Amino acid sequence: MTERQSISFNHSRQAREAENILNHITDRFDDNPRGMDYFYDLFRRVYCRGEALPHEGVRIGTTCIHAPEELIHAVGATPVRLCNGAYHYDQIGGDFMPAKSCSLVKATLGMLSSKDPVPRVGRLELIVNPTTCDQKKKASAMIEGMGYRVYDLELPPAKESEEARLYWQRSVRQFAVRLSEVTGRRLTRKGLKAAMARTARAQAAFRTLHQLRKSQPAVFLGKDAFLVTNAFFFDDIERWTAAVEALNAELQQRLQQNFQAAQRKAPRILFTGSPPIFPNLKLPLLIEEAGGVVVADETCSANRMLYDLTAVDEWRLDDMVDALADRYLKPCTCPIFTRNDDRRRRLLELADSFAVDGVVYQAFAGCQVYEMEQRSIAEALSEKGIPMLYVETDYSPDDMGQLSTRIEAFLESIKTRKRKRA
Amino acid sequence: MNYFVGIDIGSTAIKVAVVDEAGRLAGVHVTASGSLFHKNAKEALARLLTDLKLTRDDVRYLIATGYGRKLFKEADDSISEITANAIGAHEAGKAFGGVRTIINIGGQDSKAIQIDADGHVVNFAMNDKCAAGTGRFLDVAARNLEIDLEELGDYHFNSHSAPLAINSTCTVFAESEIIGLLASGHDKEAIVAGIHYSIAKRTVRLAKRVGIEDRVYFDGGPALNKGLVAAIEDELQRQLVVPEHPQTTTAFGAAILARNEYLAEQA
Repeated sequence: MTERQSISFNHSRQAREAENILNHITDRFDDNPRGMDYFYDLFRRVYCRGEALPHEGVRIGTTCIHAPEELIHAVGATPVRLCNGAYHYDQIGGDFMPAKSCSLVKATLGMLSSKDPVPRVGRLELIVNPTTCDQKKKASAMIEGMGYRVYDLELPPAKESEEARLYWQRSVRQFAVRLSEVTGRRLTRKGLKAAMARTARAQAAFRTLHQLRKSQPAVFLGKDAFLVTNAFFFDDIERWTAAVEALNAELQQRLQQNFQAAQRKAPRILFTGSPPIFPNLKLPLLIEEAGGVVVADETCSANRMLYDLTAVDEWRLDDMVDALADRYLKPCTCPIFTRNDDRRRRLLELADSFAVDGVVYQAFAGCQVYEMEQRSIAEALSEKGIPMLYVETDYSPDDMGQLSTRIEAFLESIKTRKRKRA
Repeated sequence: MNYFVGIDIGSTAIKVAVVDEAGRLAGVHVTASGSLFHKNAKEALARLLTDLKLTRDDVRYLIATGYGRKLFKEADDSISEITANAIGAHEAGKAFGGVRTIINIGGQDSKAIQIDADGHVVNFAMNDKCAAGTGRFLDVAARNLEIDLEELGDYHFNSHSAPLAINSTCTVFAESEIIGLLASGHDKEAIVAGIHYSIAKRTVRLAKRVGIEDRVYFDGGPALNKGLVAAIEDELQRQLVVPEHPQTTTAFGAAILARNEYLAEQA
């Protein structure tokens, strides 16, 4: 019986979509690190074969990086980030949303509305929906209509003021109380400290990987980096950390052996904007197939999710929860915030420290905040002489031809620019 | 003699250009792309070579560009049409005193490119997946009005009333808008002028995104349409440089690049 079910799952549209992209990621590039096999296999199991992953306690879904996952771990539950990247679900989610709306929100709704969601999230005890952009805010009621319990985690629209900080700290404390109610487990100092230590180890592994990508020529490709951080959405945190540490050790070795993952002159690209989420790795793949290499990113499916650390003053429960709240608000560079100078600063800093030749800015059509911030980012980069390619796209594969032309032309113009400078 | 070929396999037409070792244009050929890109491209090349009394052996280097560039395995190399267009316009623009901004309208996209004094791409913008304001838009409009594409220019200049506003930027919606205008008794001339101004406005907005500098070069099939040229000049408030063969600038650029690559390899 199980056998038959898995065969039919293999042939489902979402499984085929995932398989095509995975084959693309693995077969069209030479010398993939062996350490990536863990992740390739994980995605095949979850997305192509529909395997459910073992989990601890109940599962709590999150729809955004603003939900502090340490609190979820601390009450013995497992967080699963639900943000979805499948075109298959984007089409289904279209039923719930206006025509010009974000693919990510549509795909997430499409997945939640389907009987057989991928990844197999199983039963979700609660879905935490931080009140970020309008589309996600209004999704709360729709998700509830699909039969889930939804918790609106209230986020302030600005992050600089002390009022915003206090408001958010209160929101996070209330969230902690709600989590205790849902799981029937008290949030303790010991439990939270252990959870924070586990997340800190995962972040340390991510930061090492991040640093390794500074090498010139590159030792690691962006398409693999996005897969690694995507796995963090649903994988067991300790297994994930161990797999990243093993990958880091291998990349360290490759670095010593002067291994090159891309050509010496390959244009180095910083990726920003709407997040690439498997299987929608369309743009990073196009960039790297055209001979560029994505060396760093500023997106909420990777760097923005894992880079910034929590700074605790005193290890008392209250202080720890407040410190977590600060970490999930202050350094965040999401364009939903009224003022977002931090994003500009961070991009310039990344461009500088990763010796970036150009920036690719992805905006999902219908994501107004990313679309609007494009201008100021382009201006800030151009002042520093860094070219930027702005791409408005969605999950559908129908603009691949047009996009490949634009990306190739962008890389070609970077190459001439470099030649002229030399 | 050594010859060099650029072949631009576009969504609507295949353009072939041949240059000699001095970079002079020896000949061009344009044919419809059809559904068999690859076969038609090979035939177009063979046809031009025969016309020029050349054989495949005279061709030292061939560069493919355009949407079908990667399918054309006979090419020595391929390049994006934006870079090829820049090289072609830079070269062809010399006769006009040099150009720094290029507007290209193709079968399914429109582009604006800014180049430096050496013909290198500085900046470019391209419409996001949508055929609004492209050659396909003109195609659909001409069909609705039951006139030939080639006649659009004449209709434009024969319009005696103010150009009608075509507000839809989407090809499909514009189609129903045009039908609506016809139904309310407007003459074709004013509609044609309206269509041209609607494309012109869109194109100029795209060009402003990359920055308009110095002389502006206009190429691509729709540049053959004098009515559209006049509308863009009006919106831009400056004259356009329109080459003799606007359709083949990109193929010419690829041929020039083929020649340069060959000479660099020989050196």
